[in-house]
Order: sequence, then structure tokens, then C-alpha cells
Amino acid sequence: MTTLNQLTLKEAKEGLKSNKFSPTELTQSCLDRIKSLDKKLNSFVTVCEEDALKQAQSADIFLPLGGIPIAVKDNFLTKDIRTTASSRLLDNYIAQYDATTITKLKNAGAIIIGKTNLDAWAHGSSTETSDYGPTLNPWNPEHLPGGSSGGSAAAIAADETIISIGSETAGSIRQPASWCGVVGFKPTYGRVSRYGVIAMKSSTDSPGPICKTVDDAADVLEIMSGGDPYDATSINEAPWKKPEIRTNLNGLKIGLPLSYFPSQTQPEVKSSILSAVETLKKLGAQIIELPDVLDPKYSIAVYTILQRSEVSSNLARFDGIRYGHDRSFFGTEAKRRIMLGTYSLSAGYYNAYYLKAQKVRTLICQDFDKQFQKVDALIGPVSPTTALKLGATEGQSMFGEIQDMLVEPSSISGLPGISIPCGFDKVGLPIGLQIITPQKREDLVYQIAKLFEDNTEYHLQKPQL
Amino acid sequence: MSGNPITDAVFQHTAKLSRLEIKPEESYIKDQLAQAAEYVEVLKELNTDNIIPTYQVNHKSNVLREDIVEASLSQELALSQAENTDNGYFKTTATIKK
Repeated sequence: MTTLNQLTLKEAKEGLKSNKFSPTELTQSCLDRIKSLDKKLNSFVTVCEEDALKQAQSADIFLPLGGIPIAVKDNFLTKDIRTTASSRLLDNYIAQYDATTITKLKNAGAIIIGKTNLDAWAHGSSTETSDYGPTLNPWNPEHLPGGSSGGSAAAIAADETIISIGSETAGSIRQPASWCGVVGFKPTYGRVSRYGVIAMKSSTDSPGPICKTVDDAADVLEIMSGGDPYDATSINEAPWKKPEIRTNLNGLKIGLPLSYFPSQTQPEVKSSILSAVETLKKLGAQIIELPDVLDPKYSIAVYTILQRSEVSSNLARFDGIRYGHDRSFFGTEAKRRIMLGTYSLSAGYYNAYYLKAQKVRTLICQDFDKQFQKVDALIGPVSPTTALKLGATEGQSMFGEIQDMLVEPSSISGLPGISIPCGFDKVGLPIGLQIITPQKREDLVYQIAKLFEDNTEYHLQKPQL
Repeated sequence: MSGNPITDAVFQHTAKLSRLEIKPEESYIKDQLAQAAEYVEVLKELNTDNIIPTYQVNHKSNVLREDIVEASLSQELALSQAENTDNGYFKTTATIKK
């Protein structure tokens, strides 16, 4: 029997509008699911039961997200709700204002049901570095959910919420979506405001939705997007609008970068992507193998330097004077990243590290420009492997960078992308297909992803919990 | 970018610049920094002569707004999360010796 918490956004909206159930019943159903599962999964750092039920009572169901429960990654500032970035340093921090994205979601009627777990300060790709303990993968609790938006992805996979949002700096939406078998839509850099999102790597931080279907993710992205005077790097345009659905992919050229299958690629990941290639061909797309896409190993190095450098600057503000505790509360991962960033920016090393990395970033952007002269979009695996086991990050100081090698190039270049379910490995863990386009071509990302989803059934499978 | 540049002196100096206290049991961070520094050597394989660095991917610069005062946090709200306040101010540790 389907319970309300299992509904997609589309189904929930239809049900609310036709009075099949009330916002309170929908919200309560998600809260019940959280209560029964979350001691085990640990998707949430904070659950807002009382506030959520109160808002549900006065919800306007005719708003775009009216009465819809949403799980919010705990690095978005949410007024009067504890916001920790999953770090003990902010354990006592009650946000004093809403992030722009939160304002937009609230204005659209969404009900914040809770704040989801992440790698502390979003530093990682496992959610294992959270100071509040790891989130477990709903498909197999011995495995990681990915990260850093692992709590949001796990909450969607486990039907603890109807919709969720995360943020991606280099894979933090797409990789957990892939490992949890859900849809993660990372927009063009600047499409969604960064204002009020605890800064990690400001030059690539991109908030975006993690949802149960491509349409749900696109609907949430519509609400989140749009220029913001409080974020100087936001794209000063009207909110993005979902385009018409395509009936086929005739005339579309999709590139398959051969360098996106590194030696550590799991055989089932490769076979699922190749099977997706066949599906896209049947839908009319021309698939072109690209033998000369820049090796992602350079992006790992560029990302490592730039992320640490920007982190060392962004986390300098956490001094325990205006909010939170003092710097002794930083965990080892944050300390390691701040140290490397400070080192690469410090006198005598700037040219060799930071400047060199920013120049190679130009080469990566130019490489994408070159590829997009030959093809309209790129596809490949999101991650070389399915979800790794808990403890996989131990002693691996570059775990995240290496796990995210296939999503780092596009993040560094500010491109939009999506992760959609495209298969399962031999032990039943999900596999994600990524679709990447030039900047501001979310329309094409959506159209390809939507048609793929409509012609496959991977997204309909649910973990046994 | 050659050899192991993270000497004890460099490590200590970096910690000081970072305003971080590294506990003895965290000294392994030094080796991990060296590993990361070694990993990024791969960038040397690419020629970046005459390449302009990309600091910002949507090529915006000098984004300004009208110089008009807007509503902001009240003093009470701004101070509400501070552990130490004094007479309506944030209280900091001393930075200058008397």
C-alpha cells in the first residue's frame, strides 16, 4: 500500500488539490516515516515537527509548493531553526535570517520538515565526516549515501520527505543522488543564489534540488532559480522555466567522453552507462565517442587546490565571536583543508599552486567549449563506483576528490548537470547517469533526462526498508 | 612544486596563519598535506604559458547596486548568537597588549 510520504511532488500536488488528503496528513506521514527510520539512517540533524505541523495547518495548497514537505541540507540558513553545517562549531547556532533559496521556497508554500545531514562544512563525498555521525544508505545500511548532500539524498530515497534540496560544489548533489538512486539536478553556477548558504568554495557552490523524479527536480529548480541582488555572482535573469517535453531525441548529438571511464570504473557501472547509450540511441540521439576529453585527473588537482584555498578564506570568519563556538571546534577534515588552502595561498607558493590551478581551470573550460562544438550534451557515469562501505574514507585524505573525479570538471567550469538512475550493481546498489550541457542549457539537461526516465523504470524501484 | 615542501617550520607557520591549534595527535596532517602537494604536481604536465586564469566562471565583474540603505538585522538580532556581548557590542578577545 502506498503511503503519503512515498508520493512524488506531482502526485502530492494532485492529491492535495483534489482534497484526497490534507497538508497536515501529508506532513504527518513524512514525520512518521522519519520517526520510524531516522534513528537508523540519520538523514536528519534537526527535525522541525512542531513548526512543520503548524505550517501545514495554514498551508495554501494553490501555491506552487503549497503544503509540500521539504528537507533542507543543513548548510542553508533557515531563520529561527538551528543551522549547523553538521559541525559542532555551529551546534548552538540559530540562523538569524533565511537564505534566498529558503525565502523563495517558503513563499512558494513549502514546509520545512527538517535539516539534513552532510559532511561537516560540506567537506566530503560520504556524509561520513559529519560531527553528528554518518548517514546510512537506504539501499544498504552498511554503505555510504555519498555526499556532501547525503542526508537529503537518503531522505528522498527512504521517502522521509516529498522533496529536498542540497548544494553542489563538485559533485555534492549528483554523487549522493547517484549512490542513493534518486534525481539530483545541479544548475549552472549562478542560476541559484548562494546568499545564506554557508560558503564552501564560493566560485563553484551551486544549490539545487534532489527529488524522486526529473519533473519534480525541475519544478523545484524553477522556484529556487533567478537573479539575486544579494549574490553578486548570480545570473541576473528571470527564474528558469521548464521547457516543453521532447517526444524523441532526433537530431541531438550526445558525446561519450572515453576518459570518463577510468581504470577503477566498476564493470556494472560501465555496462549500465553503455546500456543507457543504447536507450538514448533508440530515442533518436546520435552518440559520439569523444576520445580527446581532458583527463579528469587534472580536475582533481585543480579542485583540490582551489577548494582548499577558498575554504581557508571562507572559514576564517568562524571565530566564535559573533556566532558559534571558537576554532578549536573544527574537526580534523576542516583543519586539513584550511591548512592546505592557507599553504597554497601563502607567500612563495601562490604562483606554483593557486595561480597554476586557475590557469588549468581555463584549459578545462576551453576543453568543454571544444567538445560542445561537436556535441550538444555529454553523458557518463556520475561516479566510477556504486556506494562504498562505511569506513571507506578512513585515512583517505583525498577520498572526495577522487570519488568526484567525473563531476569535478563540469563543476569547475560552472556547467549544469543531472544524475538520474540508470541501473543497479550485482548487490542491488543504484547507478547514476550524468548528463552535462553548456552553461544555461538546463532545458536540454531536463529534456534528455525526462525522456530517458519516461522510457526506463530504474527510478520506480525503492529500497527495502 | 618539487620535493616535500612541508617542513616542520612551514607546517607550524601555516597553522599560525590559519589560526588553528594542531594537537600532537593531529600531526599526521603534515604528511597528508605533503601527499596532496605531491598529487597536484600532475598540473605540471600541462603547459599554461600565456593562459589567462579563470577566477570566475560566469565572467561577471564589478557588480554594484545603488547606494541606498536597506533594512538589515536589528542590533538585538545581530547580537543574539554571540556567546559574549557587552553593552550592545560583540566582546572579543584582546588583540593588543595593554
